[in-house]
Amino acid sequence: MSSALRFEWVRLRTLRSTYWLVGIGLLITAGVAFIIAYATRNEPLDADIAAQVLTGGADFATFIPVFTAIIGIFSTGHEYRHGTIQPTLTAIPQRSRLLIAKIIMVSLCAVVVVALSLVINLAIGMIFWGEVPSFGEPLNEVIPGYFVLVVLYGICGLALAQLFRGVPSAIVVLLVTPLLVEGLISGLSLVPALDWLQPALKFLPFSAGARLLATGPYDPQGGPDFDFLSRWASGGVFAAFVAIILAVAWYLFKKRDA
Amino acid sequence: MITAQGLYKRYGAKVAVDHLSFEVRPGMVTGFLGPNGAGKSTTMRLMLDLDNGGGETLFDGRRFGTIRHPMREIGAVLESKAFHPTRTARNHLRMLAAGSGIPFSRADEVLEFVGLTDVRNKKPKGFSLGMAQRLGLAQALLGDPQTLILDEPANGLDPSGIHWLRTVLKSLADQGRTIFVSSHLLSEMALMADQLVVIGRGTMIYNGDVDGFVRNFTQASVVVRSPQAAQLAELLRRVDGATVEELTENVRHGVAAAVAAAADGADAAVADAAVAEDAVRAAGSALSPGLRVSGMETAAVGELAFQNGILLHELATQTASLEAAFMTATGESVEYRAHDLDEAPPGGPQDGPPAAPPVPPSQPGGPTPGGAA
Repeated sequence: MSSALRFEWVRLRTLRSTYWLVGIGLLITAGVAFIIAYATRNEPLDADIAAQVLTGGADFATFIPVFTAIIGIFSTGHEYRHGTIQPTLTAIPQRSRLLIAKIIMVSLCAVVVVALSLVINLAIGMIFWGEVPSFGEPLNEVIPGYFVLVVLYGICGLALAQLFRGVPSAIVVLLVTPLLVEGLISGLSLVPALDWLQPALKFLPFSAGARLLATGPYDPQGGPDFDFLSRWASGGVFAAFVAIILAVAWYLFKKRDA
Repeated sequence: MITAQGLYKRYGAKVAVDHLSFEVRPGMVTGFLGPNGAGKSTTMRLMLDLDNGGGETLFDGRRFGTIRHPMREIGAVLESKAFHPTRTARNHLRMLAAGSGIPFSRADEVLEFVGLTDVRNKKPKGFSLGMAQRLGLAQALLGDPQTLILDEPANGLDPSGIHWLRTVLKSLADQGRTIFVSSHLLSEMALMADQLVVIGRGTMIYNGDVDGFVRNFTQASVVVRSPQAAQLAELLRRVDGATVEELTENVRHGVAAAVAAAADGADAAVADAAVAEDAVRAAGSALSPGLRVSGMETAAVGELAFQNGILLHELATQTASLEAAFMTATGESVEYRAHDLDEAPPGGPQDGPPAAPPVPPSQPGGPTPGGAA
């Protein structure tokens, strides 16, 4: 196992895109944090603002999750796109071991990136706040939720690319599902004849996953009126979605020709 | 030592590899030949557990997937450009080294060996096919393995590269390593390989030494040219066991106008030797209609012509080339499987396992090496 992990570590760090994705993710998130911190500089610092600055937007903060998912997509998708799966499997023929190493390394990468981003954003916030925010409600749940969400996104990307054995289709699914498919289902549920869709909305995986970063209860704001499950239950919905994709991808990886 | 037993792979209804069994022995280069699409790459992928299929391949008695660091024992390259386009050659090798517990310094050593030191920090997306092949060989040699499995390693190499590859593989074999190299080019294998495994349409055609292959799949023939070819053909056809075939290639490949004009002359002058001689002198012996005779000795053809007063312009034994053998063997593999293969190639296998053609899986495949555990 340690060899497979070393392999994955060298693979990840010798890929230029890793640095680009991490760098741009951190930069954009820091930019969002700066905008929020600047705009709210005259307001009293509360947990909501602190959560939004630290995560770079709270439940609309998707840059680091998506960029981490792309790192995950590259970890398996590149193997097929560039045919390196053959040398990889001649070095590490135990497929499950290889996949576990990839999952561990992408997850570690996600954790490090989130931690870095939190530190950077805290520093940006401090410029305006002049004090360290209290890490009470909801920050004590948003921050762990942020780690969990980004790790899940990374694994989701990895699993999608392993399932499709390529990069482009995995990226399309990753971007289209939350933006278009889930948006469309939410929209349809507003049609009175289709309001029976509303109970299902809390199970839309990416929307549910975003609840891990929620700073308050769901507010319909003219959208479909329903209640999400609790933060961690919603996270569980997203985790289950990721687990299903991963299980199918894993099974097929073991079964199919490389 | 590699022992492949009953390798089998099917894509839908098409059987790509049909119960192949063979051995690849150490200390020599074993060529794996077959026309494009014969199933060479699939066979190699089956051997390395990359594809799921039937049969079993043992490397010194062990399956590939059970070897702890397979790269240190088996160096394999199946695709020539299997690297990330922006990861440098050196990092590509370091990555694989990390996965096999091989020190990073080894990456520089093999790059030096294959002559890629100057470009080791360059992105390989700009590599020519020849450079990619060298990187592939470096990758195969990374773990200093006892066994090499290379799929078409000479593809894209220039003549000096091919010469170098041949020398390298020969010297690696001389060190007692097991080398299994595929190719669809006979000429390459003729110079490189000591043993051959030849397949066509996924089935074994031949397994043995190179000379045996030629003996099995070629018949020597006699080429004879004469202005009285038609008359000679008539006589030859009466000989028992002889087959006569008219050669037309000179007319087809015709040396343009001169040849065409001279040929006309020759046709008209079959009865007139003098004119024919002139015509021949004008355009060379290519003019005379030619015959290919098989099943008869060259001397017998000459004597027959002499006894019947037929003028000959050319009388030559055509030695069968390895290429011709290959064409014969693989061109109609099914037909040949029915004849020559089931009879063990005479002379071939005393130093190799018997050809293990379609006598499927339960067949023990000759002397299975010890050490299987």
